[in-house]
Amino acid sequence: MATLTEAPPPLSPTAPATKPPRKRGRLTPYWLLLPGLLWLVVFFALPMIYQASTSVQTGSLEQGYKVTWHLATYWDALTEYWPQFLRSVLYAGAATVLCLVLGYPLAYLIAFRAGRWRNLIMILVIAPFFTSFLIRTLAWKTILADGGPVVGALNTLHVLDVTSWLGWTAGDRVLATPLAVVCGLTYNFLPFMVLPLYTSLERIDGRLHEAAGDLYAKPSTTFRRVTFPLSMPGVVSGTLLTFIPAAGDYVNAELLGSTDTRMIGNVIQTQFLRVLDYPTAAALSFILMAAILLMVTFYIRRSGTEDLV
Amino acid sequence: MKTNDSGSGDVRLTGISKTYGAFTAVHPLDLTVPQGSFFALLGASGCGKTTTLRMIAGLEEPSSGTVHLGDQDVTALPPYKRPVNTVFQSYALFPHLDIFENVAFGLRRRGIKSVKKQVEDMLELVQLGEQARKKPHQLSGGQQQRVAVARALINHPKVLLLDEPLGALDLKLRRQMQLELKRIQTEVGITFVHVTHDQEEAMTMADTVAVMNGGRVEQLGSPADLYENPHTTFVANFLGTSNLIEAEVDSRSGDDIVLKAGGGKLVLPEARCSAPTTTGGKVLVGVRPEKITLTHADDAGEIPEGRNRITGKIADSSFIGVSTQYVIDSSVCPDFEVYAQNIDRDARLVPGADVVLHWSPGHTFGLDAAQDIDAGIQEEAAV
Amino acid sequence: MPFVNWLKRHFVVIAGLLTLAYLLLPNIVVTVFSFNKPKGRFNYEWQQFSTDAWKDPCGVAGLCGSLSLSLQIAVWATLGATLLGTMIAFALVRYRFRARGAVNSLIFLPMAMPEVVMAASLLTLFLNLGAQLGFWTILIAHIMFCLSFVVTAVKARVMSMDPRLEQAAQDLYAGPAQTFLRVTLPIAAPGIAAGALLAFALSFDDFIITNFNAGSTVTFPMFVWGSAQRGTPVQINVIGTTMFLVAVLLVLTSMIISSRRTRQKA
Repeated sequence: MATLTEAPPPLSPTAPATKPPRKRGRLTPYWLLLPGLLWLVVFFALPMIYQASTSVQTGSLEQGYKVTWHLATYWDALTEYWPQFLRSVLYAGAATVLCLVLGYPLAYLIAFRAGRWRNLIMILVIAPFFTSFLIRTLAWKTILADGGPVVGALNTLHVLDVTSWLGWTAGDRVLATPLAVVCGLTYNFLPFMVLPLYTSLERIDGRLHEAAGDLYAKPSTTFRRVTFPLSMPGVVSGTLLTFIPAAGDYVNAELLGSTDTRMIGNVIQTQFLRVLDYPTAAALSFILMAAILLMVTFYIRRSGTEDLV
Repeated sequence: MKTNDSGSGDVRLTGISKTYGAFTAVHPLDLTVPQGSFFALLGASGCGKTTTLRMIAGLEEPSSGTVHLGDQDVTALPPYKRPVNTVFQSYALFPHLDIFENVAFGLRRRGIKSVKKQVEDMLELVQLGEQARKKPHQLSGGQQQRVAVARALINHPKVLLLDEPLGALDLKLRRQMQLELKRIQTEVGITFVHVTHDQEEAMTMADTVAVMNGGRVEQLGSPADLYENPHTTFVANFLGTSNLIEAEVDSRSGDDIVLKAGGGKLVLPEARCSAPTTTGGKVLVGVRPEKITLTHADDAGEIPEGRNRITGKIADSSFIGVSTQYVIDSSVCPDFEVYAQNIDRDARLVPGADVVLHWSPGHTFGLDAAQDIDAGIQEEAAV
Repeated sequence: MPFVNWLKRHFVVIAGLLTLAYLLLPNIVVTVFSFNKPKGRFNYEWQQFSTDAWKDPCGVAGLCGSLSLSLQIAVWATLGATLLGTMIAFALVRYRFRARGAVNSLIFLPMAMPEVVMAASLLTLFLNLGAQLGFWTILIAHIMFCLSFVVTAVKARVMSMDPRLEQAAQDLYAGPAQTFLRVTLPIAAPGIAAGALLAFALSFDDFIITNFNAGSTVTFPMFVWGSAQRGTPVQINVIGTTMFLVAVLLVLTSMIISSRRTRQKA
């Protein structure tokens, strides 16, 4: 401290010696960030590292695990479970496309055509969230029940013949088939598509539609050239919010599917909670994470909307 | 936080400056705003006028220098401890509070319990007594502006700072509010420091105007002084319009300087020249468009002796009611502007006509030729 | 062809309403089947109208216990995530600091991560630390995955807030604490409330992460999951229906109150 007092005052002579310039909380942001970030580091980032290390361990539950850099676990996991990986991507992709196709008209309806019904429809989109999604997914068992009205109608219209031929359904059944799983996934993640779509559609100035019409655009052209491009941020975040959870989901495959529709989530869950083969489960989970991150990064780059958060 | 507790209530800025990294928003600046005056900081956006204002308010920490209010050094005081209030750009009325609570905000924070009477009186002063229980978004722009003034004035600050307070209003309302603010200032006698980019607004309202450019004060003075006697090309062009001609110092005669421009000679009173004049050196000669008389070339003989003259051809004319504005193509300046009162209109003065422009030498001003001749023109056009 | 024209003009409306129907169909089924009297253990086929389940919603062992546990966890997770998330959101919008990019990624990643990955890795951590799985591990997990959503919701609101409002408060003699309490917080409140509501819904309804990290503790979604294997009691539908109705009613009342308030003031 002595050296400090001996040093000449660094401030300009006009500054009053008794009142040093205020330092307006340069540390404040760090204090604000600290608890939350610490939480995320300890309970989100650190577990990822633990998981990565678990995936290269060998051993057994009884004798304990050791890090042996046994990368073969990854190879074994991939060769054994690639059908489930593929299925996850296919089912989640199909559900995402369906969500977009079904969700867009609904979002458009709320944004531009609902008038005074807008709030009511919004509530009806959000309110089902409050009935546990497991209960709602179970309801699909009733809706798609063998011999029920839905299956009956599809049968009469010979839709099931086509879908069976495509391998989406099996005979007279919808339950326990890929169609049922995709239907459940679509249903479960549809609001995650509708809400971001609505947000970006709602921001579009209604006069743009009039301007496009004024400049000789048919309604369909207006949609293609004006509305849809402007809703791209919503499309991008909606597809991500649908695809990511759908790819990791195992609830729909478990409740509405069969052993032939098992997705990668089912495998991870079984390995972790029933088989207790931690290295394999960790490796699978790690592969899923990496695959999704790669896809998301690529997709965001391609669609040019980097600022999603 | 009483008003005028000491003899002098001047705002005194000493060597005050502000830098953001490598960018200097305000160069070291000395400025004194006399107590009770209506002071305007005028300049284009980014000239440092708002930063200067915010340093007085305490919302910006000066990089060097001090701020004094009267005898008190307030440099180290946070905004909530300074006897200074601000009318913010776009008002910053609290959207969650009604008009009454917005106006009462400052009093309540200072622990004053019975605010009702004061707030009602203040709302009466700005003619908003009826609106007390409305929310800000339910008021019109002009009403919001008055709430912002009331919310600041109720605290009897030593200085009221106004940051582009009329910027969001349409032209007619702006004129009305200019007079209104002037009236209030005269009534309460508080020092007003007003930041604006609108030179007309500054000249209408302020006793003293400081013209700022690039983080520096270019010139300070009364509106008439700045207008008639600009010291830089920026001031000459930013306040109203000036015709600037490059000229060469030829000789001296008494208190006047004789200059060569184009083929002719121009006379400039030495007292009205802010640049050094050495024979053979360059000077910018300026004259305001309304000081010039236009005479048709055929009548050139009738022009009295002793006036500065330039010949040219009318390139364009536009009739705007009180006056007609001509653009003259002359040898010394490609677009000379002339405003002629519509008293006796000469029918021969149409585009294409040859004319003589002449004015009294006393209306000529001289500027340093080392400056950019067009400084301040773009800025005003952008506004 | 007036009908074809009509169809063309209202295509969006019809398609949108059909999607809405698709979204609501399961809720209708849940409600209808809450009045069912199933024969076996599973409530998937309509048998006979009955109000038995409504009269005795807690009549199944463990159901209401799991419901109350889920509500408790949701309340605490909401409080925790809202507090931490609001702090982060303010820091992000209002301050400059180093490593902003890293902070943003750390907040974005949990939202871009399949739940099963987070669930599995968190379990790995808890197993490695030898933590006792149960209430606390569930709560920790819930705060973790709700945090990012709260940050996003609050950030949007704080970003749209004019910083001059806080400066105006300071200018009007409000110190930092007063400014925060009287101006910042009330104006940011809708964003914070939205974040909190989202956190509550996410936490209450979470199954995948909870399932991994709950040990033998049973939350409401886990009870439902278990019952899908063992037999679904009608009471599940009763609770699902009640939650749906309560949510709709709450939102409707709050909307009516706020619209009436604005009408009075106008």
